[in-house]
Amino acid sequence: MSDSVTETPAGDSTGSGGGDLGSAAEGVVEPPMNRMIVAVTSLIGIFVALYLLSHSLGITGSLLCGVGDCATVQASEYAKIAGIPVSAIGVVGYVALLVLALLGLQPAFVGSRAVSGLLVAGATFGFLASGYFTYLEAFVIHAWCQWCVISAILMTVIFVAVIPEFRRLRGDA
Amino acid sequence: MSKFYTILAIVAVVGIGAVGFQVVGGAGNATTEPVDLGSVMEDPNELIQLARPVIKGDPNAAVTVLEFADYQCPACGQFAREHKPLIDAGYIETGRVNFAFYDYPLTQIHPHAFLAARAARCAEDQGGFWEFHDHMFRNQRDWSSQANPAGSFTDYAEELGMNRGDFQTCLNSDRHAEVVTANMELARQLRVQGTPTIMINQGGGMATRLPSYDFGTISAALDEILAGMDAAAATDPGDR
Repeated sequence: MSDSVTETPAGDSTGSGGGDLGSAAEGVVEPPMNRMIVAVTSLIGIFVALYLLSHSLGITGSLLCGVGDCATVQASEYAKIAGIPVSAIGVVGYVALLVLALLGLQPAFVGSRAVSGLLVAGATFGFLASGYFTYLEAFVIHAWCQWCVISAILMTVIFVAVIPEFRRLRGDA
Repeated sequence: MSKFYTILAIVAVVGIGAVGFQVVGGAGNATTEPVDLGSVMEDPNELIQLARPVIKGDPNAAVTVLEFADYQCPACGQFAREHKPLIDAGYIETGRVNFAFYDYPLTQIHPHAFLAARAARCAEDQGGFWEFHDHMFRNQRDWSSQANPAGSFTDYAEELGMNRGDFQTCLNSDRHAEVVTANMELARQLRVQGTPTIMINQGGGMATRLPSYDFGTISAALDEILAGMDAAAATDPGDR
């Protein structure tokens, strides 16, 4: 493996290629596909969260809410945490994930355990938070906001996409 | 890799375009009419939760005076200027009674009433609801006759010490449109016929609708309820 000039991305569907990242860095390192997925999904998430944030700040008009009942969800006490709109926290979270994913695509950081660890931590936190808010919509508020559901789906995609990072953290990828 | 950055760029352009379109299209678009509440209309519990009133006085007071009012209605103005100050001084400030203000803008005859109700809720965001409420009724004739009173509302907010920019941002949006609409729907479901309508509620359950909004009628009803509570407490001191 040490003399190969390319490395199979750990997040690739083949998933088994793996190799010694240290030695692979000497050749051309292909960026992990899973981090590309995290980057694109996070960017979409930023716009979804920005849209909700612009609404809660009164910048935009009515939320487009073809499915569900955004009015009830946005008017509920759970739309803010300590006075901060949940969407603002979402924007910060998605931006952090995007930056981490883009950083992790750079050759110098492909094998970085720190990037893997932060991606895992961020995606896990986001996934759990989304799960909590989905629970609130289903069982406490009894209303659905389609944009919150879309955000929860995006977070689930991101969480699934960072699973290969666990292998990188263990050092077997 | 270049394909990835192309996809990222496309997502960025589409996202900026979509959110930007909403921001540009939404800015300056003050919601002046009721909005669709969706399934909230069908669930009384959800409607009551969304139709939040603005409370004055002790939130835990045993008795509540409820008012359904329209900022553009002259009788509401008279009530706010002449009768409500007496209720405040005689009952609200004692802590035994609180006051719940519900919006009921009669939008078919008062074109600025919905915006006015939203404006007052925007003032509430900055902790100045009651000052703004009083100011609106004091200046009712001035702004009612204007083609677009949004500028006057913003001036009032600034005169009362609120942040002009924050107030304007709130007003030029649909913020609080759902709450005001829910207030209106609640009034309809309670068969409120006109404004101001005054009700008295003692410890939950059904509220008693008063035949008139003058201070004499309201104070007589409150005195009777409070006297009954005092008598009940005197007979059963353990409840105190």
